[in-house]
Amino acid sequence: MSARQNLSPKLAFVVLLWVCAFTLPWTIQAFLCVLLIIGRFAIPALRPGSPRSARAFSRFILYSIAVATLVSILNAALIREGAIVANIFGISLHQGGLLFGARTASRLLLLSFSILLFFVSTPLPDFIQYLQEKGLPPYLALMLLLTLHFLDQLPIRIHQIFLAQQARGAPVDSGMLARTKALFSILSPLVLSSIVESIERGTALELRGFLHKPQPVKHGGSHMDWLTLLVLSLAIVILSYSIVQWLIG
Amino acid sequence: MSKSIRQRIAEEMTGAALPFVAFCIALNLTAGQITAALKIPLYLDSIGTILVAVLIGPWSAVICGSAANLLAAALGNPSMIFFIPVVAVIGAFTGFLARLGWFRKWYLVALGGLLQGILAAAASAPISAYLFSGVMMAGTDFLVLYFRSVGNTLLNSVLYQGLTSDPADKLVSYLIVFFLTRNLPQRLVSRLRGASNLRTPGRPS
Repeated sequence: MSARQNLSPKLAFVVLLWVCAFTLPWTIQAFLCVLLIIGRFAIPALRPGSPRSARAFSRFILYSIAVATLVSILNAALIREGAIVANIFGISLHQGGLLFGARTASRLLLLSFSILLFFVSTPLPDFIQYLQEKGLPPYLALMLLLTLHFLDQLPIRIHQIFLAQQARGAPVDSGMLARTKALFSILSPLVLSSIVESIERGTALELRGFLHKPQPVKHGGSHMDWLTLLVLSLAIVILSYSIVQWLIG
Repeated sequence: MSKSIRQRIAEEMTGAALPFVAFCIALNLTAGQITAALKIPLYLDSIGTILVAVLIGPWSAVICGSAANLLAAALGNPSMIFFIPVVAVIGAFTGFLARLGWFRKWYLVALGGLLQGILAAAASAPISAYLFSGVMMAGTDFLVLYFRSVGNTLLNSVLYQGLTSDPADKLVSYLIVFFLTRNLPQRLVSRLRGASNLRTPGRPS
């Protein structure tokens, strides 16, 4: 069993990348995106927790790079500012639009990569436990863990109800209005069964005294490790520098 | 003495509410599967939040929407994390309308859905425009680009895009929740804190 990671430096790193996404030039942001992709393979703390999350991250990288390219080209074609930099199939690409697209795309990629890399390399139960250590009430931690249970169960239930309604002759393949009506025939049993299950689970929680006895809230304390402090300090320095730059014009 | 937010949330999260909110968070994240299976062009990604706002209360709805967006970010849609304020507005506003008794009449529900759509579009436009320059890696990006190309500012383009899709989506979501809650057995609904939001005062349940 792997030891649980200290998530504070990782979260501080995400904050630093967010600051970079809003303050630094787009070329540096694009470079940071490349570094993050390399870091996903090279830095042990950023490695995906499972083959499934590794595949999801790889798919997201390909998808987002395709979207970023499309965004840049569409902006260059539709926003007619600045000189014409290229002409593809009779469509003129303008410098102003292209730069706007590149800036937008690099910021979007950096924000997305930073958040996604955090989550693919951190098992969700570990993250929830970390939040609880930092003061999240135990009932909210339980709620998040129950959500993970429902997330596993719901697609199966939806599929079962869909097939059952289809077998009963519900108009799941007819016109738009009929399909919208069929939505109720799927949602109604789903919500009804969830309320029944919630009442049962709520009764069990009450019987065990979970909801009434005072819950011990563990606080992680106010101290930070040196790495978290270093990363947050760097974020503050970059933010302060860009604010000063903006103020002096 | 007024209660703290933490106390209010703890008050709402009792008994069946806790598992039900967890279910609704999961419903927000999987509603897309139902609409995709039925080939209906709607998001319905806040239907769980609306259900919680009506059947439990506004604070739980804020928690439900926020947690759904946090988990959506964890499950592969990272930009959702920045829209937590928008879902908080949706949860709080719907809870407020439910407490006013708007979920007892269909026409008030329809009006509430439209108002909610406008509010959601107004709340998400600055985030979408200033953080992402209107690009959300979705089909609606083309609409933003179109509005920009005809001479609108970025903020206005994002707002117009939101106003073309959000009111319809929220109107349908509100009506679905209204008809769902009407068809639920009263003996079950009465176990939830927000049951009084659905009953006309003075009438037996």
